[in-house]
Amino acid sequence: MPDRQSRRSVLATIAALPLTGALSACGGGGGDTRPGSSTSSTGSTGTTGRTSGTGRTGRRTRITFWSALRGSQEVVDAFNAGHDTIHVDYQQIPSGGQGGYAKLSNAARAGNAPDVATIEYPQVPGFAIDGVCRDLTDLISDRLRAALLPQALGLTTFEKRVFSIPLDIEPMVLHYRTDLFERYGLDVPRTWEEFEEGARTVRREGGQRRFVLFPTDGATQLAAYAWQAGAQWFDTAGGAWNVSLADAPTRRVAAYWQRMIDDDLVHMNAVESRQSDAQIAGGLVLTRLTGAWDAGAQIQARPGQKNRWAIAPLPQWDPARPAVGTHGGSTFAVTKDSTAPEAAMEFIEWQVSHPDALRARLSSGTSSQYPAVPGLVDVGREAFDRGYYGGQDIYTLFEEQARTIREGWIWGPRMSATGKVMQDGFARASGGQSSLIDAIRAAQDGTMPDLKALGLSTTQRST
Amino acid sequence: MTSATPVSVPADVTARPAPKRPAAPPARATRASSRRRELGACGVLMTPFFALLVTVFLIPVGTAVYLSFFSDDQPGLGFGPERTVFAGLRNYTAVVTDPTFLGGLGVVALYCLIYIPLMVVGALALALLLDSGVVRLRGTAQLALFLPHAVPGIIAALIWLYLYTPGISPVIDVLAKADITVDFLGVHTVLPSIVNIALWSNLGYNMVVFYAALQAVPREVIEAAVVDGAGPVRTALQVKTPLVRPSILMVSMFTLIFALQLFTEPMLLSQSSQMISSRFSPSMYIYDAAFTRNNYGLAAAASVVLLLCTIVLSYGVTRWTNRASAEEATR
Repeated sequence: MPDRQSRRSVLATIAALPLTGALSACGGGGGDTRPGSSTSSTGSTGTTGRTSGTGRTGRRTRITFWSALRGSQEVVDAFNAGHDTIHVDYQQIPSGGQGGYAKLSNAARAGNAPDVATIEYPQVPGFAIDGVCRDLTDLISDRLRAALLPQALGLTTFEKRVFSIPLDIEPMVLHYRTDLFERYGLDVPRTWEEFEEGARTVRREGGQRRFVLFPTDGATQLAAYAWQAGAQWFDTAGGAWNVSLADAPTRRVAAYWQRMIDDDLVHMNAVESRQSDAQIAGGLVLTRLTGAWDAGAQIQARPGQKNRWAIAPLPQWDPARPAVGTHGGSTFAVTKDSTAPEAAMEFIEWQVSHPDALRARLSSGTSSQYPAVPGLVDVGREAFDRGYYGGQDIYTLFEEQARTIREGWIWGPRMSATGKVMQDGFARASGGQSSLIDAIRAAQDGTMPDLKALGLSTTQRST
Repeated sequence: MTSATPVSVPADVTARPAPKRPAAPPARATRASSRRRELGACGVLMTPFFALLVTVFLIPVGTAVYLSFFSDDQPGLGFGPERTVFAGLRNYTAVVTDPTFLGGLGVVALYCLIYIPLMVVGALALALLLDSGVVRLRGTAQLALFLPHAVPGIIAALIWLYLYTPGISPVIDVLAKADITVDFLGVHTVLPSIVNIALWSNLGYNMVVFYAALQAVPREVIEAAVVDGAGPVRTALQVKTPLVRPSILMVSMFTLIFALQLFTEPMLLSQSSQMISSRFSPSMYIYDAAFTRNNYGLAAAASVVLLLCTIVLSYGVTRWTNRASAEEATR
């Protein structure tokens, strides 16, 4: 039972959440969205840095960089230390869902977006359509284009134009509790069938324990499952957005998880919640299905569970033809408001492809990002502290998994909103009021009016 | 007698107290100047109203209507350059075919059906109780009931969020000790929970409105009713209540208008309950459309639709009650 103090702090957190969102959402024309207005050293960025930056020689070009990614400060410091011609002013902003994206949209609307913004893969098409992302096709160097994993670059390329540069690509993997697997005599599941058997075993013998959590706030998780199974939620062939969230592979995935839910084989609650934290901390859940990045987040969140977790490939539908989807991952975009796009691009290229950038980020001790530039994997393998995972070489595993990321997946033009409607349906499904496939259909129905109002060409074919 | 005096003896005119005849031309002047003064006063007194009406109502409404017919269009996939084009009724078609918006309207309709009767009946009952003289410490009771209205809506929602959230709520803890498990933020309980917050905030205010109206009821009417043998309950229901009918209409109308704009409470509670979606009410839909979906045309069209709904409903309520009272008058 929480005491007074923790009650107060929890309440303060609750109070702070909507306010940060609202403030950043409304701060379009306000001072807080002016890049770099918070510190004196960067005070001139908004005006003098912009105008004099590109033109005059002998003075450093100043660019502004917004990100919520962990370790960004370390990366920016390393960049500034090694560059004489460009100086990056870093401003930490709330993560996208907590108001970061609203802040970026409003800043772009007001004409003072930062030079470089951080955008996760699902939101790239939306910001590209809204004109926030600059077309980088002519700015991206051949060297960088060749260095990036094709599946990653494919996610930020539309109509053969590149709108954002991938930083990391995060194949979904299976994190599992080695000690509890041993206790219940479980083998690491290679197929979803085996995964379900494991879930039934734990349901029978595990008491309060469950094999896995189905997150009610997990539209991106479900997308990764569907992606793996061969779904194509959005397609741009034929010059129109074809939306088919409830296609055959997705229906198969939804039916699979619905059965697990109906038979009470899984926990069903939000993953971004204290409840979920308690489930993991208390050993009430045996596996986590998340992106590679979660390995680092786990180290930071629960240092006490050292040597109890290991990582394995995601279970497959057909082990003969392995495939995975991604979960998480970020990209860097140069915004339309940038007056120094070349300098911004140079910073981005360094950040995503230079070994020092990855070393600096991993030095924060909280990241296990899998770089979208495969040439950096060796750097990650060296820089990552394997102690927590009992010496397991997780970067080699990530490398193998990243190669099997199914090509051709396309995120939709309003992915945050689509995901939210879907999650509203998941929440109702957790109360037994609805089903997963209903939630997915509702997400499609709630997305179409949005796309039509934007004036996009749309179709709705389904397999 | 006095006809020639103003001309012949001017001195006399000033000496005399104001006579009738000479007063005529100045009277015309006074009427004109008082008219001018009236107009001036009208101008001074009404300018703030019209200035505010124009700046905080007409201009925003006009902007919303304008935005709702235009769109930053990019044909095809949308990755081309943007240009603002006239979109006709496209945004309206999108809004009225959006199941999430219609769902929000449904939620607000249900909310009104629960909230408005509870509010009107509750506030009237409390006012009648206070007016009947049954309650001791009338002033204190009134203050205690009115106080929650002084708490800003966002603070009220936070307080109630604290009381509703499992794990931190003392209410849920106490109930749990008595083996009662309540989920205030569950599928079926979340709307009543919001109604509860709104009632807590506004009951006292409307009670004061009714109480003031009851004070204006002539005492002789009540005395006559008492003489005729009406008990306190009958006096309250059949004498006082019909006499404060205009106040009931006014309170219902304002409550309806505020209820249709339901926003603060669900917005805050949505942080704690997944049962409140980001498009829970029409106002939340508008907020979400503008700031999450970055779709200002859609948000503007939804705002106009909500405004039209409000106008139609308010007009309907007024017409209906007017007709009802007219029928009563002819009876």
